[in-house]
Amino acid sequence: MNKIKISVAVLIAAVTLTLPFSAVYHGAPDIVGSVYSQDNWKTEFEIVCAKTQDPMTLSPDELRMLISRCDQLRTLIDKLDETQRKVYLRRLQMCKDLFSFVLESKENK
Amino acid sequence: MPYLQAISLILAVFAFPCVSVAWNNASPPKYGRVIIKKHSERAGLAPVIFDHWVHRSRFTCRLCHVDIGFAMEANGTNITASMNRQGYYCGSCHDGKRSFDGKITFQACSGGASKEASVRCDRCHSLGKNVVREYEFADFANKMPKAYTGNGINWEAAEEQGLIKLVDFLDGISTQRASLKMQKDFSLEVKASWVGEVKFSHKKHAIWNGCEVCHPEIFPSVQKGRTKFNMFQISDGQFCGVCHEKVAFSLKACEGCHISPVGIGR
Repeated sequence: MNKIKISVAVLIAAVTLTLPFSAVYHGAPDIVGSVYSQDNWKTEFEIVCAKTQDPMTLSPDELRMLISRCDQLRTLIDKLDETQRKVYLRRLQMCKDLFSFVLESKENK
Repeated sequence: MPYLQAISLILAVFAFPCVSVAWNNASPPKYGRVIIKKHSERAGLAPVIFDHWVHRSRFTCRLCHVDIGFAMEANGTNITASMNRQGYYCGSCHDGKRSFDGKITFQACSGGASKEASVRCDRCHSLGKNVVREYEFADFANKMPKAYTGNGINWEAAEEQGLIKLVDFLDGISTQRASLKMQKDFSLEVKASWVGEVKFSHKKHAIWNGCEVCHPEIFPSVQKGRTKFNMFQISDGQFCGVCHEKVAFSLKACEGCHISPVGIGR
């Protein structure tokens, strides 16, 4: 009987402990997104900056989205150590500047 | 009107040499040479001699100036030994692990007090020293198509003929990119009557530089006729002059850009 009580208590405790995580995962995707981004800033950087190959083919909305992603990435890169920050902020700025430049030229057409 | 053209030509002949003090009169082996000295002397080392030709014979401009992050002006990057040791800037390639052309690169700024370490330092920190170079300019240049300015090498022809195969991707550093979408070539309107029009080839430039080396930092507009510049600004190191007259072919090679015949009354 005691064993059953202990098992039930362990089960309840386990469910209680995992609930907040599942709530965050399903109910608050933004929080999960930022946690994901902090761990994978480089993946996001590579995806965003790879678009500099064909910026003239992107629509103004796509360019605006990329500029916004650059701004989000900047906050993550700002937290890196000095050298990494220096290298990647410059690279990121070049990507963002190119997107802004293409967007401006498309809007002024 | 012929008077105006004649006056323009006379002014150009006499005025242009006045700005030609900015011309790069370096000998072919030294054309494109950069002396990096921001931290060396304080660390008790000779300044670094960086010869562009050694690197541009193997890598695209973009690999170093975008992916690795070197600034486009001399001493603009503020490189330190610590940064190199961490695998950035020179240390991106010179890490003692990567190999190019079957040779493992030496490790930049790896320190040590041994004679071997000192020889390694001298490979870069060599200003004022009599260092035996691993790569000799004459040996390399003799195999390349000739040009009469700059390094004396026609780099474009060298690539077309397969004599150089430029690396554009560095594992762990470069981003995975789709193939480059080329923009159209276009003509630039020339105000002077005594020079031919400029045919600008996007393909020639983008293949080595990508888009972001030039736009928007060097050329802040893609709209035809919006960015106006002249030869005085170019010879002062702006616009085309950021690369031409420093590393790319010299401004003395007028026909490199002004493709149609030059002369009064064309």
